[in-house]
Amino acid sequence: MAQSTQRDPNFKEEVMTEPGGENLPRCYSCGTCMSTCLVSRVSPEFNPRRTLHQVMMGMRDQALSGSTIWLCSACDACYPRCPQHIHISEVMEAIRNVAARNGIERPGPIAVVDEPACSGCGVCVKACPYQALALVDRDVEGKERRVSQVNKFLCMNCGICAAACPLSAISVEEFSNEDIAVRMAAEGWFTDQGPVKPGEPRLLVFNCNWCMRAEVDWESLTRFPPNVRVITIPCSGRVDPQFVLMALQEGADRVLVVGCAPGDCHYKEGTRIAQGKMHVFERMLKQVGADTRRVRFAQIDTDERGRLPSLIEGMVADAKAEAIAAQANR
Amino acid sequence: MPRQKQLQPKPTARAKKAAGKKLKMAIYWAAACGGCDVAVVEIGMKLLDLIQGADILFWPAAMDFKYKDVEAMKDGFIDVCLFNGAIRNAENEHVAKLLRKKSKVMVAFGSCAHEGCIPGLANLSDRQGVFTRVYRETPSTDNPKGILPQVKCQVPEGELELPEFYNRVKTLAQTVQVEYTLPGCPPVATQVWDVLQTILRGELPAPGAVVGAGVRNLCDECERVREGMRIKRFVRPHEVALDAERCFLEQGLICAGPATRAGCGRPCIHANMPCRGCYGPPDGVVDQGAKLLSAVMAIIDSQADVEQLVTQIVDPVGTFYRFSLPDSLLQRVQSDKQEASQ
Repeated sequence: MAQSTQRDPNFKEEVMTEPGGENLPRCYSCGTCMSTCLVSRVSPEFNPRRTLHQVMMGMRDQALSGSTIWLCSACDACYPRCPQHIHISEVMEAIRNVAARNGIERPGPIAVVDEPACSGCGVCVKACPYQALALVDRDVEGKERRVSQVNKFLCMNCGICAAACPLSAISVEEFSNEDIAVRMAAEGWFTDQGPVKPGEPRLLVFNCNWCMRAEVDWESLTRFPPNVRVITIPCSGRVDPQFVLMALQEGADRVLVVGCAPGDCHYKEGTRIAQGKMHVFERMLKQVGADTRRVRFAQIDTDERGRLPSLIEGMVADAKAEAIAAQANR
Repeated sequence: MPRQKQLQPKPTARAKKAAGKKLKMAIYWAAACGGCDVAVVEIGMKLLDLIQGADILFWPAAMDFKYKDVEAMKDGFIDVCLFNGAIRNAENEHVAKLLRKKSKVMVAFGSCAHEGCIPGLANLSDRQGVFTRVYRETPSTDNPKGILPQVKCQVPEGELELPEFYNRVKTLAQTVQVEYTLPGCPPVATQVWDVLQTILRGELPAPGAVVGAGVRNLCDECERVREGMRIKRFVRPHEVALDAERCFLEQGLICAGPATRAGCGRPCIHANMPCRGCYGPPDGVVDQGAKLLSAVMAIIDSQADVEQLVTQIVDPVGTFYRFSLPDSLLQRVQSDKQEASQ
């Protein structure tokens, strides 16, 4: 437990007066939320139990400093498991409101709008699961225009807006369109000079960062030979069908897009958005007479151990079988 | 991903103007409906201004010209060629190559030349499929012998020849090098006149540019009210009474506006019809259909059943790629597969 020099007895009351904060005193620090939370896998410092405890103990500075309170994405995986039925994401929201009022900013990257390119169409505003985007009138290159603006307190950097933006005017750090294109083609992956052995089918996987709990599954992703390239993205909602088309056109034999199970999306809406896109996309492939086996969308439950590795193996085997059949027909 | 190679500027028009000479222009139609030629005529009395500054050496839709007239010209004799229509058959391709050779500047004029347009939707089928449908299956066809067009056929008077009908529709830029693109189905007359004036003044931008249009999307200019509603169900225009003031997407209609280049003046929107996408993708978008899909699906209602919602989209390719199929990445994915299987 962190040492506290100064305690603020009003801190707890302050949080409790915020919407959602009223549930705080029901927490008895059992830690079930912590064992459920997927954030701590990526950010070990994240611990909702500890944060709630700090608030109750009046440890204002400890609770508000650092990135902890900003990491909860309100996926609510902990909510059904909490024996006290505390909506922890709402408590976190209440703590954030207090932090924001005290001038504390969210650390870490947020989405960035390229204002000259933005048309103010508002697609991102509707797409954002966190209402982190709004249209504002402002001076852009000497002209009063309506453009999108990111609220740094609300943005989770999931990239759903970047995929939605019809003008590619929004980018998210590490996962901009350019970043993803570079990672797709890195080391000449699509070329014969690259790491893929001749004759090996290329499988590109766009993998959601939050759909798997088992470390063994994450490890297995690193053990595939170079013909399987896994690009982990914040959310399947970040996938722009243009990426899939570019990969297929560049020479990927198969593309797999992986998201969270329906209703379990880490960023609330992402997996639904991806599901809709990929469903229509598959129908379009069928319409133009392209091979629909080349693209697959899967929604994986965090508890489905081994599902992704076996999906990958299956798709590679399928591509190999097809190549052999094609050779036999020649 | 650059769509066209960067080309060296050919400042011929500027030089011509300095020398006080008239420009030499050609206007041609390949696989097109004729609307693009009408779009040129639609500039009205300004046609007289046009011919003050330019001699039109070739314009089959408007006046009597022969291919041999063009063949007789020196290479590069024409200053600017406005080429409308897609490349559907051997004649289209032959004339595109001929005009390319004879012209210093080639402009893909209108959606067909730019990205394939409505004729390009025939790429959902192939030559055999098109012939079967058109010459055998349609209810109005009376063809008991099942005769299909032949490149060569014998008649009592001798041998007749038709241009070969290709398997796929191609864009102009997929056939010859193109310096500029003027989008639209058809380009609106005000934009056509603007571009013609730019040409006459010798002030065309660096080659590779899209002229006669904006850079951002249609929503940039659209005056419809956006209330922030997500899409609860997809409908088509004939299924609902359309609100003339509200954003079409918020009414559940797939409006291509977000993924379509601005500049048309929104005649469809003003006629209470959603944008269909004829001005092609705006700057920053590679594949118009995929981008539109990506934008539209991101704003579906969080309560709606996704699987049910997507079935309400009838004919996805015809909706998202209505004008851009031959120029799309989707088309290239299809072609890759076909080439591989051949």
